[in-house]
Amino acid sequence: MSDNAPSCHSSGPAPAADNPFLNGLWKQNPVFVQVLGMCPTLAITNSVRNAIAMGLATTFVLTGSNCMISVVRKLVPKQVRIATFIAIIATMVTVVDYLVKAISIPVYKALGAYIPLIVANCIILERAEAYAARKPVWKSTMDGLGMGLGFAFALSCLGTVREVLGAGTWLGIPLFGPNFEPWVLFLLPPGGFISLALWLLTFATWRDRKAKREIAKAKAQEEKMHEEQLAVHA
Amino acid sequence: MTPTIPMMKVLGTVSLACGLLIVVSNVTTLARIRQNQEIIMRESVTNLLPGLKKQIIYGVEPSGDLKILPSVEGENVKRFFAGYDDSGKFLGVAIEASERGYADLISAMYSYLPDKNIVSGFQVVDMRETPGLGSRIGTDENFQKNFKALDATHPIKTVKHGTKANPWEIDAISGATISSRAVGRMLQKSVQEMSPIIEKNLDRIKRGN
Repeated sequence: MSDNAPSCHSSGPAPAADNPFLNGLWKQNPVFVQVLGMCPTLAITNSVRNAIAMGLATTFVLTGSNCMISVVRKLVPKQVRIATFIAIIATMVTVVDYLVKAISIPVYKALGAYIPLIVANCIILERAEAYAARKPVWKSTMDGLGMGLGFAFALSCLGTVREVLGAGTWLGIPLFGPNFEPWVLFLLPPGGFISLALWLLTFATWRDRKAKREIAKAKAQEEKMHEEQLAVHA
Repeated sequence: MTPTIPMMKVLGTVSLACGLLIVVSNVTTLARIRQNQEIIMRESVTNLLPGLKKQIIYGVEPSGDLKILPSVEGENVKRFFAGYDDSGKFLGVAIEASERGYADLISAMYSYLPDKNIVSGFQVVDMRETPGLGSRIGTDENFQKNFKALDATHPIKTVKHGTKANPWEIDAISGATISSRAVGRMLQKSVQEMSPIIEKNLDRIKRGN
């Protein structure tokens, strides 16, 4: 995948970007580009509703933890940096656990064990280390929001493929007639891997074509300038 | 040199702030969470006892006597719901039960008909079983068929998928044996505990007082 995808536990440099929100949402999408957070990506995307709920819960944790970490970043001695970040992230996860349980019991039941596991999602610690610990509050909050929504978008993409093929529905709405035979494999773990592979392939192909188009465009411009220079000399 | 005092100060302050945030969230959402749980329980009772128009919540005292509870309050209270139709006729009881499953505690409600001594329905209230596998104990139609008239005169037990031969056996879900067995254990323990209490107070429950 991407050469600049940061490691799960590294504190590599934050990717250069003008807009931290769009960066997380698209250019450095945590799933399709950085290939992070694979556990929830594969586990809970068997329906679009679950995918959206997990995406929003992670967005809440990412935004809140990035904001809080950025606020205290200059006060935290480097020796207790990770301990402090984990305490903040775990707090945000506990808060989101209560909120989901209060807002919707069916969603809470569907997400099951995965809400507490958000604390172990490497996207969150990666953004804390690579971005929030170095940047001002506003930019860190936007980064968390962008990355979270990018994660939610990616989960929804996977959830759409799996629910449509595996159950013949989208957000619980039946799409096909009674003769449709659901492809149950897509609701099971292998379906998660297959869907993820298809989306990664689609994204990689699109990025590759875009890069080739840009190179071709740059070459054409270069040739045009060269021809113009020759014409001037002639 | 290791900055011990600043480290303690930062960790102490962050922990305090985090603790406060958790407490505030808990206090703010607690009423709503309890309300949601009560709604789910009452919906389960309605689903488990068809024709239900009125329900009474009975709490079980340590002596085995019953008292009417105004709402679903308290974590460790033994309780059950008695259901009545529009003419006041007793339909059966819906009982809360829980058992350790594959991932965590499975909380469920089941309907029990004391006159026939059968379990007539089962519904999961809360669980964290593996989605798509263990979670099927709450959704699988074939598994639900086990509880149409599960005989409670014999010890209830879960048997391997496809080998059910007796009305007191539960046909396990293939690929979710641990969760299926947890349901069997849950029902056996709960029926064993609650049926004598219900039997003892059956006349009172039927009268609805």
